[in-house]
Amino acid sequence: MSGLSVEARAESPLRRLVAEFVDSPSAVAGAVVLVLILAAALFAPWITPQNPYDLAQLDILDGNLPPGSAGLSGLTYWLGTDDQGRDMLSAILYGLRISLAVGAGSTLIALVVGSALGLAAAYYGGRFEGLVMRIVDLQLSFPAILVALILLAILGRGVDKVLIALVTVQWAYYARTVRGAALVEGAKEYVEAARCLALPDRRILFRHLLPNCLPPVIVVATVQVANAIALEATLSFLGVGVPITEPSLGLLIANGYEYLLSGQYWISFFPGVALVVTIVAINLVGDRLRDVLNPRLQR
Amino acid sequence: MVTRNGWLALAAVGAMMAGAADAQTLRIGLSSEPSAIDPHYHNLGPNNAMRKHIFEGLIGQDENQRLKPELAVSWQALDDTTWEFRLREGVVFHDGSAFTAADVIWTLCRIPNVQDSPSSFTIYTRSIVAAEAKDPYTLILRTAKPHPLLPVEMSLIGIIPAPADAEDLAYDPEGCDYADWPSTEDFNSGKLAIGTGPYKLEEFVKGDRLVLVRNEDYWGEKAAWERVIFRPITSAAPRVAALLAGDVDLIDNPPVQDLPRLKADPDIEVVSGLSNRVIYLHFDHFQEPTPGVQGTGGKNPFKDRRVREAVSKAINRAAIVERIMGGLAVPASQLVPPGMFGYNPELQVEPYDPERAKELLAEAGYPEGFELVLGTPNDRYINDEKIAQAVAQMLTRIGIRTTVDASTKSVFFRRRNNYEFSFYMAGWGSGTGEASSPLRALVATQDKAKGFGGTNRGRYSNPELDRLLEQALSTVDDAKREALLQEAMAIAMRDYAILPLHYEMTSWAFRKGISYTPRMDQYTLATGVRPAP
Repeated sequence: MSGLSVEARAESPLRRLVAEFVDSPSAVAGAVVLVLILAAALFAPWITPQNPYDLAQLDILDGNLPPGSAGLSGLTYWLGTDDQGRDMLSAILYGLRISLAVGAGSTLIALVVGSALGLAAAYYGGRFEGLVMRIVDLQLSFPAILVALILLAILGRGVDKVLIALVTVQWAYYARTVRGAALVEGAKEYVEAARCLALPDRRILFRHLLPNCLPPVIVVATVQVANAIALEATLSFLGVGVPITEPSLGLLIANGYEYLLSGQYWISFFPGVALVVTIVAINLVGDRLRDVLNPRLQR
Repeated sequence: MVTRNGWLALAAVGAMMAGAADAQTLRIGLSSEPSAIDPHYHNLGPNNAMRKHIFEGLIGQDENQRLKPELAVSWQALDDTTWEFRLREGVVFHDGSAFTAADVIWTLCRIPNVQDSPSSFTIYTRSIVAAEAKDPYTLILRTAKPHPLLPVEMSLIGIIPAPADAEDLAYDPEGCDYADWPSTEDFNSGKLAIGTGPYKLEEFVKGDRLVLVRNEDYWGEKAAWERVIFRPITSAAPRVAALLAGDVDLIDNPPVQDLPRLKADPDIEVVSGLSNRVIYLHFDHFQEPTPGVQGTGGKNPFKDRRVREAVSKAINRAAIVERIMGGLAVPASQLVPPGMFGYNPELQVEPYDPERAKELLAEAGYPEGFELVLGTPNDRYINDEKIAQAVAQMLTRIGIRTTVDASTKSVFFRRRNNYEFSFYMAGWGSGTGEASSPLRALVATQDKAKGFGGTNRGRYSNPELDRLLEQALSTVDDAKREALLQEAMAIAMRDYAILPLHYEMTSWAFRKGISYTPRMDQYTLATGVRPAP
């Protein structure tokens, strides 16, 4: 391997980002935990002893067993069971699937919708911009939890409805961020040059403006994934989120909450730990990404 | 950091607050508060419980819902349609006016004239065609048809004093001749909260507190407490916390999950008693196809008695009672609990038999089962949502793949009343204290004119049952009527018209030093709270 090629690769931006990222031990630890959590959630159907969403596999006579107990079917419940006889370990892994899928899914959709609107607003300006940005202002003036609660009260329960609610409360952040970035970029010469060449709007928007607006959006997105997961958990905890027969982490915590006073801590405790670890891991990774992607912080 | 002095100061404040609650004041934390003080506004548990403190009826109900004399000292049927009530003499209202038969007639006149009543008391007065005062202390009530429930119904109505210009008002079932009926607001403000009861209203601040003071001129045994403060604390955990912190002396409906802990607390006592409420599952007997059922080729499987029997046999009632209700319920064999008028001792709790249930499903043509949605409220009955999940689990085991559709009570009852469920869970408390109440409401064929089937949202219909029930409702002889009700109950249960799950037990938790006698009607009454001897 020649020294030249190593140098050339070291100069590629991605390589530089990775190198900067691994500089922070906490971020690496967060990334490792996050990968483990993602793997556990992804492979949950193959590694859990029980499918907690299949009612035929649950036995109410196994309800409220403490961690480590053996059930009627011979299964050992390492983290105990909830009041319906669900194995907590299986329920947590399946719950993580829902939490992560809803968190990541809603963030992605909100990112696409918000970015598109923000970009268009910045590029076209005028009445369209005024309209979009006033909607954004209006939306951001309400607490996210309130908007989501109202929406779910109207829509009813269900994973798809939680997704709709989360997208609705999140898109405004992206719209505002992208518009700000696009306004700055749009005033630069290369965009002016592109306009002078009479390139179609579509091309200017997506090939010139969008790529240069992405870094701040990615930073917002990493923070928002964690927020979305926490918001989904909150909504489920309040009983307006996912259906009760398919609990996510928030609903598991809510179910166990009633038993805390009587000492059956495990129903709330373990899902709570899983939720906290997930959110902390995502935030560690997100914080580091923000640092390495921010040109102003570059050493 | 709290310094040592800080702790001392806190302790001193705590001691002062404890001292402020003197021995003559009783503080009660309620899980649901009345919607009005007006005794005729809303026929609802919390309202009726509060009514009993301020407004008395001609007849009272004891802890087991047996009738006892209250403002009437005795009553009897002169013939099948004529009843005579002898009224108590020397009773005065809170405003000092004397109680006479004219007040009863005024009350009967006022009940149909309550503005915007969400649930009217006219169901208890509409059988009355004539009411006359033979003398100030003898009241004659007439019904068009034999109506054995009249004394029970008179125990459910609170008497209010007649204004001076209505002393001679005549009762007319089509509407009494009077213009200026009292308004519900005047009751709530306290202006008209005038009854004969052991307590007087001092203050009603909706959502915050309801304060009663002892009626020193009460005709019967004087109330044990000088003041009673009811505080609505609708969330269970804060209610328990309020009791543990000493902010209230007694709470109703402590959550089942917390009972082990409360019982273990040396300063807290818990009492539980069987209630009049049965939790049941109701089938759609009418629509085809029926909403929520899939995999039956458009057929409504519940029209087949074998499917209904299979569902019943698939449910392990004992497991629900033990695991979900923490033992604080009794598996149900019928729609009224043991000891209630009309209970049929021959009916047994359905044994848990999933094998037979699968056979029955196969015989009915569903060897592979089908898909089902079970509707349930999630904040109305004790552990309602958890019970529904357990039922779904048990049905899924015999092949009926069940999902639970749980919603808050207002949404659930609206959807149920629109027949949006093919299978739903709900509860019925027999306010009258006998079996005709659930039979008439839940399984009698819907008939508005007769007042039948009002809550029969599965639209079950059985002419034989209707006939027996109608006969029972016009039989004044108690023994004969009970036999008819028992027979009607047996028909409904053997046809699996509706599946009783369990009878709720109601619990109260209170600090050591007082006692409470559990009531079958689930009411929390300050009159039932006594300083421990």
